[in-house]
Amino acid sequence: MNLPPIDWHAIAPELVLTAAACLVLVVDLFLPDEAKWIAMPLSAAGLFGTLAAVVSLLGAERVTLAGSFEVNDFALLFKALFCVIGLIILALSLDYFRDGRYHQGEFYFLLLCALLGGVVMASARDLISIFIAIETISIPGIVMAALRKGDVRSNEGSLKFFLFSVLSSALMLYGMSLIYGVTGSTNVDEINQVLPQQHEGLVAVSVFFVVIGFAFKVSAVPFHFWAPDTYEGSPPPVAAFLASASKIGGFVGLLVLMFRAFPAVAEQWRPAFAVLAALTMTVGNLIALRQQHIIRLLAYSGVAQSGYMLVGFALIGANADTNSQAFKATVIYIVIYGLMDLGAFAAAISFARRGGTYFISDYSGLWNRSPALAGLMAAFLLSLAGVPPLAGAWAKLFVFLASIEAQVYWLAVVMGVNAVIAAWYYLAVVKRMFFDVPEVSEPIETPYLLRAAMGLAVLALVASFVYPRLVTDLADRSVLESRGADVELSSP
Amino acid sequence: MEAAWQEGLFFVFATVITVSAIGVVTARNVIHAALFLVATLIGAACIYILMFAEFVAWAQVLVYVGAIVVLMLFGLMLTRAPIGKYGEYDNDQKGLAAIVAAAVFGVTAWVLIDSFEGVELPTDRVAATTSKDVGEAIFSSYVLPFELVSVLLLAALVGAVVIARRDERVTSRTIDAARREKAREEDV
Repeated sequence: MNLPPIDWHAIAPELVLTAAACLVLVVDLFLPDEAKWIAMPLSAAGLFGTLAAVVSLLGAERVTLAGSFEVNDFALLFKALFCVIGLIILALSLDYFRDGRYHQGEFYFLLLCALLGGVVMASARDLISIFIAIETISIPGIVMAALRKGDVRSNEGSLKFFLFSVLSSALMLYGMSLIYGVTGSTNVDEINQVLPQQHEGLVAVSVFFVVIGFAFKVSAVPFHFWAPDTYEGSPPPVAAFLASASKIGGFVGLLVLMFRAFPAVAEQWRPAFAVLAALTMTVGNLIALRQQHIIRLLAYSGVAQSGYMLVGFALIGANADTNSQAFKATVIYIVIYGLMDLGAFAAAISFARRGGTYFISDYSGLWNRSPALAGLMAAFLLSLAGVPPLAGAWAKLFVFLASIEAQVYWLAVVMGVNAVIAAWYYLAVVKRMFFDVPEVSEPIETPYLLRAAMGLAVLALVASFVYPRLVTDLADRSVLESRGADVELSSP
Repeated sequence: MEAAWQEGLFFVFATVITVSAIGVVTARNVIHAALFLVATLIGAACIYILMFAEFVAWAQVLVYVGAIVVLMLFGLMLTRAPIGKYGEYDNDQKGLAAIVAAAVFGVTAWVLIDSFEGVELPTDRVAATTSKDVGEAIFSSYVLPFELVSVLLLAALVGAVVIARRDERVTSRTIDAARREKAREEDV
């Protein structure tokens, strides 16, 4: 039996993160109750270590484990993004979990495990790895959503998430098994080569199952029902995790599969994505219009944002140029969305922690009570709406341009209409914060850790608007192409 | 000759699986449903053996039949869940669910028959997947997902303990709060 060599440097980020997760679990066991919060800086250190391992790989092009694991700019970009998201969520969690006395140590362990799923997902180029990675993101997510055990909404939200997640995994796995059945391979590149010669109907059905499975994970309409209830019921930092890391994990898997494994049969599934994208944008935005609760508003607006991210998949075709433009636009959108959505959650959580609530009516006159918090919240919401001078504007513009380039004009029109609807409810909150008279005039102090995290996020959003090459360069470099058979196996 | 008895046995096992799978969803008693599930899973294991996938077959028997269903039965016993008739748990979406299930069955069956019609399984090719091959695949090219599953299972285990554990701290605090509330009322 000869084992192929493993490129240990290529999997270093995963190794560091796994070690950190195990360390947190063990150390937590020996910490007295009042010192349990130490698990948080420990987890942060683990994520910084992972980030360092990612940085040490910058510029690398490595393939290992018989082509099922690939390290390139695309993978590193998303690995880094998962680490950054993890760090922001840790900053949000410290205060919440320390006061609430929910199982702190276990929470940090579960969070690190879920992030590990995301970090593996960025490199997974094989159906089995992709499936296990998406499950590693979801299952700790389900448990974290249930951590507010005393609250019936948390139980309900978690149970809904669990049931939807199990159903979607079953569908996805069935689709994957059919794909393996017809192609005899689990590797994305081999699948892409063999798939066009197979029976059309069977290919269409199996890809359809896989897409439905992912549609649940990224909460696309009509598979979004779990999202608002789960977000509302979970501890808010967990909701922030589900809206950012968990959704992005699903999108990374979808990007790898659709742009790498199934592009040859794009004719068959492209229309499904167009419908999915249009429905997701429109339904998400229309329901978001009526929300009174900020987390539910963000949940439905997150559904709508998924719609914009799905547009890129509806543009895949025979033309390599439009494909790569659609791919880049989607990558840019996902990265920017991750930052701005997390920022909005962070602002909402800091407000609620410091005497506020999650009801939008309580945001009246926030500007007078805490200019910093109101300014940050406004920046994130305006970015989500796609208003310049914030990065969200570029995100929308690139997707818009990509759909014009691919000559799918009707989707561009749907996007335009939706941008207007979305602006309505985002601006309504902003107007309330700046122009309405507050009912309470107590000033609000935001914790420094949170203020720093949110400040950095806003800075990143403004910087990437002023100097767009920051994002376009990243996207230009992150090509998701197979590089042929010569790099199938690399030894360290 | 060999192919003939293989095919005959396949139909026997397929019938067992189908009948018991229908039993799982229609049984009025949860214990009966679990026992039907055992029959379904064993039937699937037999089909794996027919395809010479011995490792998968034994894993199926050991893990699903031996561990999961038995755990389910223990769970039913220990949690004092209602194990008698459970007719009241039926809901009014049964019809819709049946239509969706029938549609999915129809489409997949049609597609599978249409694409694999007339294809014969070469007996020597399938015979090549032995436990040794499976083991080598798991510990070479699939070693990363295999290890990731360990982390996933650990997370699931920790999660299950966290969710199932009775929170002494929270309950005692709420009881304390209730006591104080009561004391305050008495003071007034």
